[in-house]
Amino acid sequence: MTAPDDLETVRAVTGEGYKYGFVTDIESDSLPPGLSEDTVRFISAKKGEPQWLLDWRLEAYRHWLKMENPDWAKLRIAPIDYQASSYYSAPKEGPKSLDEVDPELLKTYEKLGIPLGERAALAGVAVDAVFDSVSVATTFKAKLGELGIIFCSFGEAVREHPDLVRKYLGSVVPQGDNFFAALNSAVFSDGSFAYVPPGIRCPMELSTYFRINAAKSGQFERTLLVCDKGSYVSYLEGCTAPQRDENQLHAAVVELVALEDAQIKYSTVQNWYPGDAEGKGGIYNFVTKRGACRGARAKISWTQVETGSAITWKYPSCLLEGDDSVGEFYSVAITNNLQQADTGTKMIHLGKNTSSTIISKGISAGRGQNTYRGLVRMQPKAQNARNYTQCDSLLIGDRCGAHTVPYIEVRNPSARVEHEATTSKISDDQMFYCQQRGLSKEDALSLIVNGFCREVLKELPMEFAVEAQKLLAVSLEGSVG
Amino acid sequence: MSPKPETAPYRTAFDRHHPAGHDERREAALSRFETLGFPTRRDEAWRFTDLKKLHRAVFAPAEGAIHAVPDLVPWRFAGDAHRIVLVNGRFARELSQVGDLPKGVIFGSLAANPALIEQTFDPTDTEGGQAFTALNAALFADGFALVVPAGVHLDVPVEIVHWGAASGRSFHLRHLIALGAGATATVIETYAGQGDYWTNAVTTVRLDAGAKLRHAKLQDESSLAIHFAQVRADLASDARYESFVLTLGGNLSRHDSAVLYGGADATCGLFGAYLLRGEQEATNATFVDHAVPSCTTTEVFKGVVDERAHGVFLGSIMVRQDAQKTNANQLNKNLLLSPRAAVDTKPQLEILADDVKCSHGATVGDLDEEALFYLEARGIPAPEARRMLIEAFAADAIDQIEDDVDLRAHFVTQVQRWLGGGAK
Repeated sequence: MTAPDDLETVRAVTGEGYKYGFVTDIESDSLPPGLSEDTVRFISAKKGEPQWLLDWRLEAYRHWLKMENPDWAKLRIAPIDYQASSYYSAPKEGPKSLDEVDPELLKTYEKLGIPLGERAALAGVAVDAVFDSVSVATTFKAKLGELGIIFCSFGEAVREHPDLVRKYLGSVVPQGDNFFAALNSAVFSDGSFAYVPPGIRCPMELSTYFRINAAKSGQFERTLLVCDKGSYVSYLEGCTAPQRDENQLHAAVVELVALEDAQIKYSTVQNWYPGDAEGKGGIYNFVTKRGACRGARAKISWTQVETGSAITWKYPSCLLEGDDSVGEFYSVAITNNLQQADTGTKMIHLGKNTSSTIISKGISAGRGQNTYRGLVRMQPKAQNARNYTQCDSLLIGDRCGAHTVPYIEVRNPSARVEHEATTSKISDDQMFYCQQRGLSKEDALSLIVNGFCREVLKELPMEFAVEAQKLLAVSLEGSVG
Repeated sequence: MSPKPETAPYRTAFDRHHPAGHDERREAALSRFETLGFPTRRDEAWRFTDLKKLHRAVFAPAEGAIHAVPDLVPWRFAGDAHRIVLVNGRFARELSQVGDLPKGVIFGSLAANPALIEQTFDPTDTEGGQAFTALNAALFADGFALVVPAGVHLDVPVEIVHWGAASGRSFHLRHLIALGAGATATVIETYAGQGDYWTNAVTTVRLDAGAKLRHAKLQDESSLAIHFAQVRADLASDARYESFVLTLGGNLSRHDSAVLYGGADATCGLFGAYLLRGEQEATNATFVDHAVPSCTTTEVFKGVVDERAHGVFLGSIMVRQDAQKTNANQLNKNLLLSPRAAVDTKPQLEILADDVKCSHGATVGDLDEEALFYLEARGIPAPEARRMLIEAFAADAIDQIEDDVDLRAHFVTQVQRWLGGGAK
């Protein structure tokens, strides 16, 4: 049982305000709330899109109208009024270079600790900074361009590389895939596009920072990464959002395509506003992420650290189509206060000798609810396919919940599937051991939790590893059970 | 609301036969069935199950005419037992040998003990989400009842053999097992038969404080039959419910165990093995509700799936907020022996208390090549080596049974019989 003074510490720590909660005041060029075919046409026209993309969006929208909000996840969500959201907002001025970027915007990045130019230069990271729905600055493009790597905003990709976009858009997550993917396909505002040509190893980590800024604007990002034969890319995605009192809807779609021998490493740190201690506010995060290993020996690796959002509904998945292709999913999900997370992965084995690894660490504190929901499916042709799954849950306090819902479906006798799951709490012995060696309660907890998550954290690229450890500490420091 | 079309024939059967007693409850249960309708793959609990067979045909309740019954020895427990036989869902007195029972013990036909019928009803009959349980409540005609008073140890097992032989008919059986405080008993159930029928059995188990029930079941129905069984067990403090289900027969089968802990320090062990071939489809589903602190659950299910068969395990353990000091363990291992065979497993945990130890594991794979090679290198022919490995694999589950009456031997014999036969 949790001692009362420990609970006090939990409250003290979790009651600490959201550090990144501030609002930048820029005039937004927003649509009034509401969703109709006209909204879709407006967005498409505003972005100067070709007819085929408008048709594609409209098809998605008509699909969406026929679909129902999914209710199978272990989430309690107040009904969402899709007519109450605004589906387009963009900073007013369209800057052409970093120098022209609104100083208010740059200040926002500074507050977040992302001085764009310097950080990019120092860290060797090309930042495609997304402020609300339009990309305002893209760096290192020239450098990447020399190698033939395309890394730009989605809108730009539609203008500059329509054939590539048209070929791959919706090829992994079709418009009617699910309710939220359909919604995204209809109204997606912007996002990132990357293409790595055959045999090229992208020399730097590609990175996008998302922010949600204008009030009442749901964000509908669309990311498409294509790795051609034998290429490699590591992609970082991280988010923070200003503090809000009402729930903000976010429904992103990420599509990854890895051709023969290509490798994609996709890392996410998600730290959106989770709502206050009473569960007020917070982001609703409904994300569809899926990668297809199209060619032989392709590899897609998802790593995620999910600490934010009031609601997380997210299942980064791999379609292992090519023979000998590999899928990986490493996840840490933390829920505190009244946060709810229903997250996991799907590994669909289609090709021979395909293998997948799933390592999921769920941490529940406060009154948080954390669900791992996963599917491993071995299709009849997945000769000698392998899967190893490990799901561990850690409970901190007696008001939270940890749930595990794994589906294992095997259609091939040569396939091997192993699944293990455990649930535990931090033992008094562990705490005592650390404390009697002079560690404070907070440090001891941080140490134990970081140890619990180590297998996932070590998969993160350097920049994120540091941030992630800080996030774990901030989210849970003091929540000693 | 007008009944869904496919349930209408059961309303007709209900009106014609009108099973005796508890009219209001039966009527409410039938309405519940009509509201729920037959499950489909869209229902999460049935997503892996192909119910076409049930959707296509109407299985009117059997009327109880007793057909010729073959020698039941191959299925019978070899040791001493108080034995009753039910044929087509009705008690067959001439085939039963109950023998002398300790004072106060009731064992026999449920229909012959009308006072006990009341005890078999449960709110889930009329309010639950299981269509076949509701249909059972509306239509059941007979079943067995075992009542052991407090403090009585029933040393000799009771055995119930069900024989089904009415093609195109359904048998809705309702059983009651009630053990008083500190009582103990061993129940061996066997389902077998021939033809194309549907067995739908619902068992209510009530264990008072410190009572201990060992409940073993052999399901070796006809290869054309449908077999659904649901056991709901309520455990008071310190009680133990131990269940073992060996699934060999049936075309489509499902065994559901639902255990509810009502008092601290109770334990349950849910064990099973399913050996399937041909076109068989079998599901083992468990739901254990840790509503109180300090209870322990152990589950071990092992599946051997060959030819074009389909094995399903659905395990669910719920640990409620106050159920501190819960210990729960769930294990499901499967051997997939053919390219056309399929296994689906979903071991699920739902945990709302923090001071618990819960784990689950699941594996699916083929026989271990190295073990096969090891045996063959010692001169054992490949088919024999495979049989040995399969038997040992299934034995892991059989060995979980706490045994003082040679129950394990009974099930090992049945597994060997399965291994010896091809498709039936």
